[in-house]
Amino acid sequence: MRALKATYYDGKTSKRQEVQIYFDNPRQLRVSGLAHELSFSLSEVRIAPRVGNTPRSIYLPGGAKCETTDNDAVDRILEHRRSGGWHAFVHKLESRLGYVLLALVITVASVWGFIQYGIPAIAKQVAYSLPPAVDTALGKGSLSALDQAFLSPSELSEQKQKELRAAFAAMTRDLADEHSFRLEFRKGGAVGANALALPSGIVVMTDELVALGKHRNELVAVLAHEIGHVTHRHALRRLLQDSATVLLIVAITGDAMSITSLSATVPTLLIETKYSRDFEREADRFALGYLKENNINPRHFADILSRLEQSRPGESDIPDFLSSHPATKERIKAFQSAS
Amino acid sequence: MEAAVNAAKGQVRSDDRTRLAPASPFQFTGKAGEYFKIWIVNILLTILTLGIYSAWAKVRRKRYFYGNTLLQESAFEYLAEPMQILKGRLIAFAIFVVYLVVTSLVPPVAPVLGLAFMAVLPWLVVKAHAFNARYSAYRNIRFDFRANYGEAVGVYIGLALLAGITLGLAYPYYAYRRSRFVMAHSGYGITPFTFSAPAKAFYMIYLKAVLIAILGGVVVSVIVGMLQAGLAAGEPGKVPAYVMTLFPVFVIVVFLWVWVYIKTASANLVWSNTALERHRLRSTLKTSKMLWLYITNALAIALSLGLMIPWAQIRTTRYRLENMALLTAGDLDDFVASQREGVASAGEEIADFFDFDVGI
Repeated sequence: MRALKATYYDGKTSKRQEVQIYFDNPRQLRVSGLAHELSFSLSEVRIAPRVGNTPRSIYLPGGAKCETTDNDAVDRILEHRRSGGWHAFVHKLESRLGYVLLALVITVASVWGFIQYGIPAIAKQVAYSLPPAVDTALGKGSLSALDQAFLSPSELSEQKQKELRAAFAAMTRDLADEHSFRLEFRKGGAVGANALALPSGIVVMTDELVALGKHRNELVAVLAHEIGHVTHRHALRRLLQDSATVLLIVAITGDAMSITSLSATVPTLLIETKYSRDFEREADRFALGYLKENNINPRHFADILSRLEQSRPGESDIPDFLSSHPATKERIKAFQSAS
Repeated sequence: MEAAVNAAKGQVRSDDRTRLAPASPFQFTGKAGEYFKIWIVNILLTILTLGIYSAWAKVRRKRYFYGNTLLQESAFEYLAEPMQILKGRLIAFAIFVVYLVVTSLVPPVAPVLGLAFMAVLPWLVVKAHAFNARYSAYRNIRFDFRANYGEAVGVYIGLALLAGITLGLAYPYYAYRRSRFVMAHSGYGITPFTFSAPAKAFYMIYLKAVLIAILGGVVVSVIVGMLQAGLAAGEPGKVPAYVMTLFPVFVIVVFLWVWVYIKTASANLVWSNTALERHRLRSTLKTSKMLWLYITNALAIALSLGLMIPWAQIRTTRYRLENMALLTAGDLDDFVASQREGVASAGEEIADFFDFDVGI
């Protein structure tokens, strides 16, 4: 067998010495070219696993090592000893383009599948098994924070407020749900015509939205949608899903980038808006179910949605995949076809 | 050991006559195609093992980059074991989960936790550098890093606060002391690195950065002003909206330029003033080239949905290393190994996980 050209480092100083390694006996390794020839049993020697075509280290007893660039020769010897182990398997994966492409497809498919189905399903299970008290803790302080930042006191008449609160109370009374529901009115200002559900069960409706409603049932439909958010635990599920996504992205790309790097934030943002759209669809389905059950024409929801869209020009230009809500046209169509 | 030191002195004397030390450039032999395969298999196995393989993945990645870095035909070597890294990662992961849960359930606690992280930062810095140094080797001699915690607190908390209090005036001094702390406490075997950059040089970098920012601001204002004036002259009162959206784009370019300038100039300054006995390092990176690399990397990664990450890493590393050289005074045969001492990976992994900038 031919000699393996290598460089010997004794581990005590940084001196280089060119040597030849011989594997002339299946259980022996001989290093020649030094002042004294060295001979070791192969079981005393540790050979570093192969990484690409980087120089390979052969660690000798006593801290010395040999470094060689002849990776293939080392592999042949290891194969002979059948001791490449799973490192050799990893290298085999890395060196065959076919395997690599297969790996790529499996990777993309499993990440996609996990994000599409796995994370939402797990988050749903976890959220539903937690008591509504968690939602209350989650929403604590949200309303006062909103009041400070965007909202101002409502200018709606007592009469109108009372009327809507009564409707809201009737809607939530028979619900098998332990959230403490409450309807609040605020002047939206910059927020405009909008309604939002806080995790604790508080639903906030802006004066502007009330003004936009031409029929009482339109506002009932909006309230049903917001109740859907609360009863399906969307705030808690969003928190769980978004955290899981961040962890997943970091686990996968941690090798390449860190949490705070911009490139890692872009995919998480896209996934978060996707989850948000799914929640909107679920809340829409809840509203549709409620309207049908109470013999209210689903058209009412479609009507106020299209008026909402007209009141906010320009927003429909945002492509679907970047938006936190599904395209309004799609939502309107769903309610129109049900009416 | 004495013999080695004497031998080193002898070479120094003989080389003094020539004055101009021969430059040994660092070589990087990594290939994007080859690394892509390692990278994608790392990702696949990491997913299949629910993240546990990431420790093995890190070792393979590090070994690929170290093993492809050559100086005078000898390669660098990364020697950490995956199990050590896995332990550190599990600790970092646990801290991250606790942080996520606590901050989302009790948001007011977030700043308190932030302060707690600041307090452990010096410890992280020392541990991370010790881990990285002691598990890196060249010619079978390991690097070393030894620093006491007290000094780290002084630099990373004391001087950081001073930089804040003085509204940034002391920041260049803080940057100087950070680099000095890292370099002067590093060693190769028993031989310490020496760091000779003066604090003044750091002030010059930041002064120039401020000048670039001002100049950039003026140029951007003039361009946008001219655009506005030109368009308004044609059709009064109707300046298209895109002119105003151009403004932030220009501002970002100026900021990026300043940031890359500071990074590049600091790296050149620090490396070129670091020496191992009489062997000096030299770094000759160019700001314009680095900026070009960053911008094209970001574009390529975004357009390929991340698949060009390996390519970006390889070309950036190649540029950095090919502009680094060791000005050798004699051969590199006489460095002596130090006593081996282990260090846990937790510091390095926590710093890595939370992206604390513990670099120079």
